[in-house]
Amino acid sequence: MWWSDTLAGWAFISPTVLLIGLFGLVPVVWAFVLSFEQNDLISPGKWVGLDNYRKLLHDPAFSNSVRNTVVYTLVFVPVCVIGSLLVAALLNRRVRGITFYRVAVFIPVVTSTVATATMFNWLLDPDFGVVNAALNKVGIASQGFFRDPKEALLAIVLMTVWGWLGFGVIIYLAALQSVPADLLEAAAIDGCTRWRAFWRVEVPLLAPATLFLVIWLTINSLQLFDEIFVTTKGGPVGSTTVVVYYLYVQAFQFFNGGYASAIAYALFMAILVITAIQLKVGRRLSHGER
Amino acid sequence: MTSSPRRITALAMGVVAALALAACTGGSGNKPSSTQSGGVVQITLSHGYTDVEAKAVTAQVATWNASHPKIQVKLVFNGGNDGALQKTLAGLAAGSSPDIAYEYGSSMAALAGRSQVVDLSNRVKDSSFNWTDFYSFERDAATSSGKVYGVPALVDNLALVYNKKLFDKAGLAYPTESWTWDDFRTAAKKLTDASRKQYGWAYVADGSEDTTWRWLAMLWQAGGDLVSPDGTKAAFDSPAGLKATQLLHDMAVTDKSVYLDQGNGNYLNLFNSGKIGMLWTGPWDLSSINSDVSYGVQILPAAEGTHSSIAGPDNWMVFNNGAAREQAAWTFLTWLTSAQTHGEFTLATGDLPTRASETKLDSYTGYLAKYPGDAVFVLNLGNVTKARPNTKSYPQVSQAIGSQMQGVLIGQTAPQPALTAAAQQADTALASGQ
Repeated sequence: MWWSDTLAGWAFISPTVLLIGLFGLVPVVWAFVLSFEQNDLISPGKWVGLDNYRKLLHDPAFSNSVRNTVVYTLVFVPVCVIGSLLVAALLNRRVRGITFYRVAVFIPVVTSTVATATMFNWLLDPDFGVVNAALNKVGIASQGFFRDPKEALLAIVLMTVWGWLGFGVIIYLAALQSVPADLLEAAAIDGCTRWRAFWRVEVPLLAPATLFLVIWLTINSLQLFDEIFVTTKGGPVGSTTVVVYYLYVQAFQFFNGGYASAIAYALFMAILVITAIQLKVGRRLSHGER
Repeated sequence: MTSSPRRITALAMGVVAALALAACTGGSGNKPSSTQSGGVVQITLSHGYTDVEAKAVTAQVATWNASHPKIQVKLVFNGGNDGALQKTLAGLAAGSSPDIAYEYGSSMAALAGRSQVVDLSNRVKDSSFNWTDFYSFERDAATSSGKVYGVPALVDNLALVYNKKLFDKAGLAYPTESWTWDDFRTAAKKLTDASRKQYGWAYVADGSEDTTWRWLAMLWQAGGDLVSPDGTKAAFDSPAGLKATQLLHDMAVTDKSVYLDQGNGNYLNLFNSGKIGMLWTGPWDLSSINSDVSYGVQILPAAEGTHSSIAGPDNWMVFNNGAAREQAAWTFLTWLTSAQTHGEFTLATGDLPTRASETKLDSYTGYLAKYPGDAVFVLNLGNVTKARPNTKSYPQVSQAIGSQMQGVLIGQTAPQPALTAAAQQADTALASGQ
């Protein structure tokens, strides 16, 4: 009875399908419709065609948010990937108390954003923060951090790298431990130093992990929001207003639901295209190196 | 932090899903008053009170229910007033609203004029309700486009709170009620000690409404206005606006006597540890000042002779669930916001009186004895002469000003260019006709 199996199969997955459909697909479609409307999220909307998308092209505040998002992503992703790789390499060895170090590196990942932000707010406080106190001790002038438009975005990068590093480290550690020991042994017999073996043998074998991390971190940094919301609220003077924060302001402070949906769809398309390119280029690179 | 940037997306999606569902079920509009049985009308009141305030309101509602068998009130906690507007809006879309809800004053523009929100204009005219007993700025804040949509639920205002010990140490006389901006600036400068990281004043410089409303008080002190009388154009790019902005610049950038709080409330911790001499804040902060800090409260300093303050009155709003429930809600609300009932509430909670006649109740002396810091705040209600406009574009105007003032405070933008830029953005927002 093939169909009873099919039926049972559908019965098993239907709760999930229903839930995901309801809370995943319906809003996605709804937001798409909203993006063609002038809609305050309550009253019936007014159909405006492509006006919201046209407005995007001429909105200086939106282009500012795009610029901030791009800068953030271009700094955050490489720093986080390279940082994770180095830390993972350090942790991929047998030393006393290695579990402690591994746990220590991972703890920031499971710390809530608000707790992290509160901590960094105090650490980086221009007047009373520990970081400036330390800088002063070694003769460097106090920095503005979240208060300085030129530094605020970099301070956000610092904070988010701290939060995400453990995630990259776990991925790399798993990948490093699946590097066959005989390959490294063969390299050693051929007279390869440990350092060269790392760069020439291990790093190329980590390419799939790197590709995954780059894509994952890029998607997440393009959607940066919480950290901004709890620290700088997009300031000072718009210097940390990223796309999703701008979307939030439009949707839930100004109640421009239609315009906010258009921003969401523009971001969605951008992420889709960027991910496709990364996958294509990444696959070619990792195949080429093998 | 794992899933962090996704959370807001999920939240937004959830709200949209709720709206979509509401649209699907076609549940908008009014529901019949189905809760009537045997002549008893059940109404719900949604609020965000916690601690003492929650206890007080629960006790008052219990008293009411015991003595009014025909109108039974059910209290519903809204999860915190910060989310009240979003919750109310979702409820409106879904067709299920409480009969009475506590709403921030700033939510008025988003709610006024909607079909489910009851226009109270005629009801408040009833002489027994004594509408003019509420302070005029409260009535303004409850009104939108000439119609009354709310009854004042809570009122507060900004006054000068200062650390007496720091004044004594600096050999300064305490602030008086005839202080001018010059007195204020000089004192802040003298209270500042860079070597001890001690500041004369603290200003919330996160670019939000918190940044804007303190500046608005200064604008009004200097005799300025936010928008033109017809509400279509920005009016704050004026000599008064420049004077207010210049003071911020002079104190924060030139004197460096201002601690710039980034919106996380650090200023209160620093005030408690004696690092900040003066705050412009409201009665809500008094309970968080440590008992070992000896502080005083004074009205704000004046420019052009006026000590204007600003208030953020919140409202009770009534939602339409059929005539019977609307009538019952109004009967209850009349009692809840009467001088007698609210007077008892303030005595229990330390909230400020919402009606002028509350200060003439017998219990008022006891109130002042119990909450000595509140005396100046009550007096200061008389200095609140203007209200923020209840227009849909106000959040945009506020953001334009907040962001530019942030630029001034950190020394990034000069006062005049900041004003010009803010006025331009405000004009665009106001012109979009929202």
